[in-house]
Amino acid sequence: MAKRTFPMGALFVTVLALAFAFSLSITPLVAQDNPTPTPIVAEAGSGGTQIVFWNGLTGSDGVTLNEMTKKFAEENPGYSVRTESMVWDVLYQKLQAALVAGDAPDVVVMHTDEMPQFVNFGALQPVDFIYGTGPDQIDPADFSPSALESLKMNDQYYGVFLDNHGWGTWVNNALFEAAGLDPSQPPVGFDAFVEMAQKLTLDANGKHPNEEGFDPENIVQYGTTVSWMRVTFLTLLYQNGGRFVNEDGTTGVNSEAGMRALQMMHDLIFKYNVAPKPAGFDNWQSFAAGRIAIIPEGSWFRNFLVLDNPDIEFTVWPMVQLGDQPATWMSAHVFYIPVTTEGEKLAAVQKYIKWISDNSIMWAESGQIPARLSLQAELDPDTYPSNIVFAQAFNEFGRFDEMTPARTELMSALDPELDAVLNGQKSVEEGLNAAAERMNAILARG
Amino acid sequence: MAQHTTRLVPDKPARPALLSAEGLRYLLARPSTREALVAYVFLTPFFIFFIVFVLRAIVQAGYMSLHDWKVLGTTQKFIGLQNYTELLNDDVWWIALKNTAVFAALTVAGTTALSLGLALILRRNLRGTNFFRSAFYAPSILSVGIVAICWGWLMNTDFGVINYALRSLGLRPINWTGDAAVVIPALSLVTIWWGFGFPMLIMLAGLQNIPEQLYEAARIDGANPRQVFWYITLPLLRPTLLFVTVTGFIAHFQVFGQPYFMTNSGGPGRASYTVILYLYEAAWEAFRMGFASSVAFTLAIILMIITLIQFFFIGRRVEY
Repeated sequence: MAKRTFPMGALFVTVLALAFAFSLSITPLVAQDNPTPTPIVAEAGSGGTQIVFWNGLTGSDGVTLNEMTKKFAEENPGYSVRTESMVWDVLYQKLQAALVAGDAPDVVVMHTDEMPQFVNFGALQPVDFIYGTGPDQIDPADFSPSALESLKMNDQYYGVFLDNHGWGTWVNNALFEAAGLDPSQPPVGFDAFVEMAQKLTLDANGKHPNEEGFDPENIVQYGTTVSWMRVTFLTLLYQNGGRFVNEDGTTGVNSEAGMRALQMMHDLIFKYNVAPKPAGFDNWQSFAAGRIAIIPEGSWFRNFLVLDNPDIEFTVWPMVQLGDQPATWMSAHVFYIPVTTEGEKLAAVQKYIKWISDNSIMWAESGQIPARLSLQAELDPDTYPSNIVFAQAFNEFGRFDEMTPARTELMSALDPELDAVLNGQKSVEEGLNAAAERMNAILARG
Repeated sequence: MAQHTTRLVPDKPARPALLSAEGLRYLLARPSTREALVAYVFLTPFFIFFIVFVLRAIVQAGYMSLHDWKVLGTTQKFIGLQNYTELLNDDVWWIALKNTAVFAALTVAGTTALSLGLALILRRNLRGTNFFRSAFYAPSILSVGIVAICWGWLMNTDFGVINYALRSLGLRPINWTGDAAVVIPALSLVTIWWGFGFPMLIMLAGLQNIPEQLYEAARIDGANPRQVFWYITLPLLRPTLLFVTVTGFIAHFQVFGQPYFMTNSGGPGRASYTVILYLYEAAWEAFRMGFASSVAFTLAIILMIITLIQFFFIGRRVEY
């Protein structure tokens, strides 16, 4: 019987193929110049009382918070903090499972939007004891009163702000200067905004959308973009005097204000040709590549520009006013305490939250806005120009969405309809009415 | 008419009562019992995992689907078939089901055709065959996240290599993941690239099981290559084709990662919204575990029906 030999050629090509596959798998990692991965688990300090802390800050903001936590542990040697970072969806899923299993963290950071849902589940405890003027307490007068209301349910506070964040406008100075425009002068009103966006939009032949011979199929530079559709829509809904959830418990997205808001976004794309269809369009990379002049984006956009694209000269405006009144969507990262945290751990968590809140000027480095008014006043205008602009806008006309435990589900009903309208699959009326029908069924279910 | 039989072997000794010590010794002494016992010992770990993590979960999901199930609830409200009624009356469910069916049909057809074609080529002992077998299988070892991110960049409307190539050829770029008419075929294309390696190996094994003498006989009878393929290869490959299509439909009906990563969870609009995205949102965003369980059960029933149809059309003509 012939002896079977191991095919060395096959081994070689297998190794080669595996190496090729592996190289594909690491391409996204090596493509970045200076990747700063947020550790999944970060330990700070070695004190006897350990705080287990979960958050969804997986970007550069997570690194900033870990640095702050390290300083807390250095100043408080009796405590240690184990920080576990995971993407937000996973955090929301794991938190309930952990509570069932009796293995919940001592403290979590989530957005204000999720609070009603998790309070409704019975997952979070009230934190009124943290607010006050005592030595271990935080003075509630140091927060914007309207923002503080977003932490209240059933007349009780359920969280403490890590920050405020929300929507504003970022502009590329070089594109403005090339168009002969002054980036320090934001337009007021929809018509003025369109006029400016037209001057900033160019086709491959260098023509603007309001010029004869403009080719809408061959645009190389857009004046603006609708960006994150949901948030731009909510901002314009509020600017037009609308509400996300009406006082009677129905949704206001298909109100007259909602129709006007979405029609504005639709017209920017299809009537004026100054914004791209959103599907398949990468807003952030396009801004970095000089293909968008004005982008509505969040306060978190700062780090994308300052850290990843330091060559781009930019200016920050408060969210431009396109509707009848100034308004901008805002939200916040908030410390919440699960119902299972008690005794010594609860006292430790209180100490930790207070320390972070007192020192949250350091958090400005993450791109977000410290929620404490006294700290906002201390922000250095040279280092944190965007934080200052955003802070003022939030305090003056920032709007949190109306509280509802079904918010996540409502957004799942709204997002695809906005997407369909702004990609030309449905009319404004069809899309918003379809969204409202679904959202009202969700709200009626309770 | 009465039949008379003659015993050719002597009577066996009387079997002792099973519930006695002697009966147990008798039972254990039998080779067939010992063999069965060894088999059961080896199967026990699997059965434990199957019962705890699969069977129990299936039963529990069925029970949950009849309730308004709250994860942190101390009591669960029984609502009968209300979750199923709501599901079947939801327009978005039918959109998701249609998208999923189109995606699965395109992907199974593409994967089967490509893997069969390549298996036919690689079956010949040509130079470099081993390299290509490995190279074609290589994408299968990647995770869906990696595949989606890489292809997301390749298909990027403005910065993607594919559209760059199209522009270089003087063609208009394609909005691969942003055009409602193109997005499902685009996701299907990515999935075919990612997954054809495994069925290709199965096809190769199937082809190698076809007896060589049948081909020799066909050649002697003067059959041309096309006739050989249609009258010998394809009929004798039916068991393999059945396996590839059945497992393909089951797998691709559960598509999730590609639209989740590449089309922002089913866009544009709901043009690539699939059944598992629908289930995921119900379970892990709305935390409606009872409703999500009814989605899972309904999907399982749909897959059973599709599998039976495949067995009916392909399986009944299988020659084993």
